Amino acid sequence: MRTPAHHKTVPHALGVFGIYLLGLCLLLFSTLVDAQEKQPKELPTVQMMNPAAEFWRDVRQRSAPVSGKTQVGGVETGVLINATGDRWRQFRMSQLIPISGYILGGMVILLVAFYAIRGRVPIEGGMSEHKLPRYTGYERMIHWFMASIFIFLAVTGLILLFGRPLLIPVLGKEGFSILASASKEGHNLMGPLFLLALVMIIIQFVRRNIYQKGDLSWLIRGGGIIGKKHVPSNFFNMGEKTMFWLLVFVGGLIGVSGLILVFPVLGLGREIMALAHVGHAIGAILMITVIIGHIYIGTVGMEGAIEGMKTGYCDLNWAKEHHDLWASKAEENGEALSNQEVAKMRGDRGSVPPVHSGLQESGK
Amino acid sequence: MIGEFIDGPLWYFSITAFVIGVVWRIVAIVRAGLKPDLSIARGSAGSGAVRAIFSRFVPERTVTTRSRLQLIAGYMFHVGLLVLLFFAQPHVDFIAERITGFDWPAVPHWVFIVTAEFAFAGLILLWLHRVLNPVTRLLSDLDDHIGSILVFLVMLTGCLALAQSHESLRLLHLFLAEVFLIYFPFSKLMHAFTFVMSRGYTGATMGRKGVNA
Repeated sequence: MRTPAHHKTVPHALGVFGIYLLGLCLLLFSTLVDAQEKQPKELPTVQMMNPAAEFWRDVRQRSAPVSGKTQVGGVETGVLINATGDRWRQFRMSQLIPISGYILGGMVILLVAFYAIRGRVPIEGGMSEHKLPRYTGYERMIHWFMASIFIFLAVTGLILLFGRPLLIPVLGKEGFSILASASKEGHNLMGPLFLLALVMIIIQFVRRNIYQKGDLSWLIRGGGIIGKKHVPSNFFNMGEKTMFWLLVFVGGLIGVSGLILVFPVLGLGREIMALAHVGHAIGAILMITVIIGHIYIGTVGMEGAIEGMKTGYCDLNWAKEHHDLWASKAEENGEALSNQEVAKMRGDRGSVPPVHSGLQESGK
Repeated sequence: MIGEFIDGPLWYFSITAFVIGVVWRIVAIVRAGLKPDLSIARGSAGSGAVRAIFSRFVPERTVTTRSRLQLIAGYMFHVGLLVLLFFAQPHVDFIAERITGFDWPAVPHWVFIVTAEFAFAGLILLWLHRVLNPVTRLLSDLDDHIGSILVFLVMLTGCLALAQSHESLRLLHLFLAEVFLIYFPFSKLMHAFTFVMSRGYTGATMGRKGVNA
């Protein structure tokens, strides 16, 4: 049985429902109106010139930088904004970094492919029982001095060049910031040592790297890589000589441009600094590419190639196969030594009695 | 956490180990004593010792011609390291704050950088000579290589932290310097102190015999 109170609830419920319905309608209506209001109105546009546009165009200096007057002393302090800086930045980001990456990656791929096809170039006659003295201790020392400095500079330089795209995803921004700061300081400090090593290398090796008769035929025949015919060569072949002169000129460019970058106090402007950076980077990428090839031949590419720089002596058969003009002269001069003699002179294990450690210190 | 350890307890431990170790080694050498020399003295042992300590800084003619690079690289490294250690501004500040309580004039920044270049070049060339020359290679043992590499790493991390922009780089340098301090007394690096004694001993012996050596 329904109570009067229950009868009262039906219209009450209808009323509440009606209010909700009204509210919903109002909400829908307001949303539609709001949406209509937010639609862009097709009004005629009026071109308004920024009253300061001319002023800022002058400041921006899209053409040649104009120097104004200022009491601040220093290089280019009269130039408010130098647009060439942006050109340099664009070049670095959109061309230098990706193209350098392709070149270095391409070189590595090329060498891997070459090794897969050609394999390690063996000494055809096998290792002989004799060796020829090839490099003095001083020559080996300055070579490895240059090598250690070059590798350090190459690694730190590549971190600075490719760090943002390659290392930030791995190390994070903070981690890369630490590495980049360390690399920059290390690169700047060790850089001048490269020039010192370069001067030492030039003085010691220049005479043997002057081009001679026969070098061109070595080049034409691809140094023996193309075909299987033997290619005669002197103490240094055409490839080595070319690498030497690349090191002299491109290395010189890298060194000088590096000094310009390290010493902004020299009073050179932004454009020269940007140019120095571009020259430095392009030269360094070229040299790193060449040195990758050099390291390949010395390590996995050719049997016996690194022996001369490691021990000072090279295998006689290797010398005859790769530097026969020099090897035959050296052999005629009686410079060839037996392996035992070389081992004794070098103090290799087994050839001399062992020296006990701490002998000097203990005074025994 | 690890930074506080390097900056605090490890620093105090390493400097204590260094001081006690160096004193212990020197006392051990002095206490070893000398054989009694019964001969009649023909000259002054004392002046011979002093003369030898200083005259050995100037090399013999044979050394200047036959080992020119070792000589030049040796001076580049040792003088460079000495200047870096005691006259580089960050080191002067550090020593004044942690040890002496007072500071002294540091070299200008450009002198600091040039000195570091010399020291690096000298050290690398000397180490290469050690491993490439048959005689020095045979004479060298693990201690020599550890000493050289440790000095190189301390110097390298110091130069990597030059910007003083990251605490972690400073801590890495300090950590390696602490390892160096702990290793120092128990290695041939002790020659930094014992060279005076060995030169003095030779000079005194020769001076007493009246030999100008």
